[in-house]
Amino acid sequence: MSIKLGSSELAKYPFLQEASDYIHETKFDFEEFDRPEMIHIINRAVEKLENELKGNVYSNLDEYEIEIMTFMVSLLLIKSIGLEEVSKKCSLFEAMRVEKFLSSDLSNERSVEKKKLLVQKIFLELFKINIDVNSTSSICKLSVPDYLQRASKMYEQEWKLINRSVKDGYVYLDTDETVRLIRNELSNLIYSRIKNMKAIEIPVSIKSKADELRNKYSGRYVYKNQFKILEYPPCIKHAMEIINKGENLPHSARFMLATYMLAIGKTEEDVIDIFKNSPDYNEKITRYQVEHLAGKKGSHTKYSVPSCDRLRSEDLCFAIKECENLINPIQFGRRKIR
Amino acid sequence: MNQIQNTGENINFLRNVFRKYYFENNHFPYLYSIEKREFGYRKFDSLVVRHLSFNNVGELVAELVRNVPLDIYYSNAYYGLPSNPINEKQWEGADLIFDIDIKDLDLPCIHEHTYYVCNLCGYVNSERKQCINCNKGKTYDTSIPCKRCFLSIKKEAAKLLDFLYCDLGIKEKFVEIFFSGNAGFHFHINDPSIRNLDSNSRANVTDYILGNGFMCESIGVRKYRNGFVIKLPKSGIMTGWRKKIASNLGINQKSELKLKNIVEASGGYEGFRNELNKMTRNNGVPIDAQVTNDIHRVFRLPGSINGKSGLTKAKCDDLESFNPNNDACMLSDSEVYVNPKTKLKITLKNNTFRLDNALEKVPSYVAAYLICKGLASISNAQ
Ligand code: SF4
Ligand SMILES: [Zn+2]
Ligand SMILES: [Zn+2]
Repeated sequence: MSIKLGSSELAKYPFLQEASDYIHETKFDFEEFDRPEMIHIINRAVEKLENELKGNVYSNLDEYEIEIMTFMVSLLLIKSIGLEEVSKKCSLFEAMRVEKFLSSDLSNERSVEKKKLLVQKIFLELFKINIDVNSTSSICKLSVPDYLQRASKMYEQEWKLINRSVKDGYVYLDTDETVRLIRNELSNLIYSRIKNMKAIEIPVSIKSKADELRNKYSGRYVYKNQFKILEYPPCIKHAMEIINKGENLPHSARFMLATYMLAIGKTEEDVIDIFKNSPDYNEKITRYQVEHLAGKKGSHTKYSVPSCDRLRSEDLCFAIKECENLINPIQFGRRKIR
Repeated sequence: MNQIQNTGENINFLRNVFRKYYFENNHFPYLYSIEKREFGYRKFDSLVVRHLSFNNVGELVAELVRNVPLDIYYSNAYYGLPSNPINEKQWEGADLIFDIDIKDLDLPCIHEHTYYVCNLCGYVNSERKQCINCNKGKTYDTSIPCKRCFLSIKKEAAKLLDFLYCDLGIKEKFVEIFFSGNAGFHFHINDPSIRNLDSNSRANVTDYILGNGFMCESIGVRKYRNGFVIKLPKSGIMTGWRKKIASNLGINQKSELKLKNIVEASGGYEGFRNELNKMTRNNGVPIDAQVTNDIHRVFRLPGSINGKSGLTKAKCDDLESFNPNNDACMLSDSEVYVNPKTKLKITLKNNTFRLDNALEKVPSYVAAYLICKGLASISNAQ
């Protein structure tokens, strides 16, 4: 079988080994970036990056030579900017861009071989997930453990296993869902490409753009602590610290944090604000979820704060002496009930 | 909580029959990778010891015969350094475990065989309240599960197995079923492909089995403006929970119209959601979520004696024919005198014992059962 990835795949998936091979074959030298005709590529990379920082997926797709170069320049730019938050946010939106192409390829590609090859290159070789894509219906199946490992980090209830099509150890997903499942991994892959790059050899033309961008964006990403942490229980403090660092919190922890904040009387706006620092923050979704927890949306039940027992079993408890005899974090710091 | 009342004689008696059991049944055939497990036990004074480790069964048995604990636990987790403090154990994975218990079934017969024992003086009261004998103690519940109880819990066990085999695709060879030694069943799943699941992933499985969190949207009912629309999911409604719900509703992939009528008949989206919640609760299995979700738990050791009953946590190869009061009753039958604290009837090893409030000669396994339950004390009468 001699099916190979074509140029259009390389354009959409420039993080694949084949794309690096291409650069290698053309004997491209980094210094060439300083040549005048490269300015177009650099400007394109800047445009993409600014789009991503605004929270948009850059969906413009060009020839593969351009795309591969743009991808490389983007990584160099981000590296050179050197702001953690920029790296994280751009990796995420880069992943979402891939997601969009991949989902449409998996459902629209006519050649079954090509579909299988894509699945193998991306899902299996990069992330070690075995996906079987149905040739006619474009429904994908993957093993329950592979599914659980990823879906259990998702915030939305629809990802719970109970809401999935499950049979004989497999979960059946449509292509959008399948691709959504690896968003985190894609984003981590791109993030680690940036991290592992050696910063020394960055061409002058890219470096000067990066300096401009750093000046423009550094101020916006200084995180302020939204609330004074005075009497929060350790479990809540811990989750807040993670959020304030701009790192991702697991679903269970977000649930705990949001229900707790609502329970102590924070407004929904306050709670939504807390989550603004999440790398995958999306105002619309967060708003919906917080309103859901507060009992305004969907089930109309107000969710209560999970018990210490449950948090303990979810590894979210960081009990200290003052936690003794508590049943629920909400009791922390109040007068002890006998 | 320690159910065994005061007297040193009760404890001495139990320690002797337990020791004899561990001495004579000195192997644990269902204990794998012993050197990677953390062990712990509860002593007769209720103190719990954890973070123990043994290199082989011989070491374990030696410890059991020497110290004779009331209950023995081992970790479902595999650790590089099992005796280190919890954060330094080097977690390498954990068996997936499930625990179902008669007390979670809300059976009507429960009251017929539940006793309310005083935690101070040991008196058996007829109600759950302050003790009428000493006027100080509070009562705890102790129960002698009946045939109906066991039938019901076996039904739940079968439902659980169906989830494991048919939905989660777990192979039978990886599933071991044990009688808990008191009023439930434990399932140990040592499938290497699920050993690495974290707590969140396990909680996801737990909710699947409990029937928690099924959304109307999963069966194709979506909220729309003030009403709803029907839009069946692309991946179909004929597998997993969707199938369970679909067959409860009597619909299939082509019944959009029928589904619409059903939702309307139940009063729209909200009403339908309530119906769904009832349905999922009835079709789920009431497993103990904490047991399954915890990846650092110590869990009763298969083959050990349950201090709440004196029965063993016995392997159960065939659910249907398994008879707990027979197959898990392994203590000595040498006879001793006991003072029952109440009138009661109990069948063990296929013998039925009817006891009154009077001194009685019974086999050791009966004595142990009743003492563990707080319903009798040993007597020195000859
Ligand atoms: S014991 Fe309760 S309050 Fe204390 S850390 Fe744990 S969960 Fe939070
Ligand atoms: Zn009393
Ligand atoms: Zn009963």
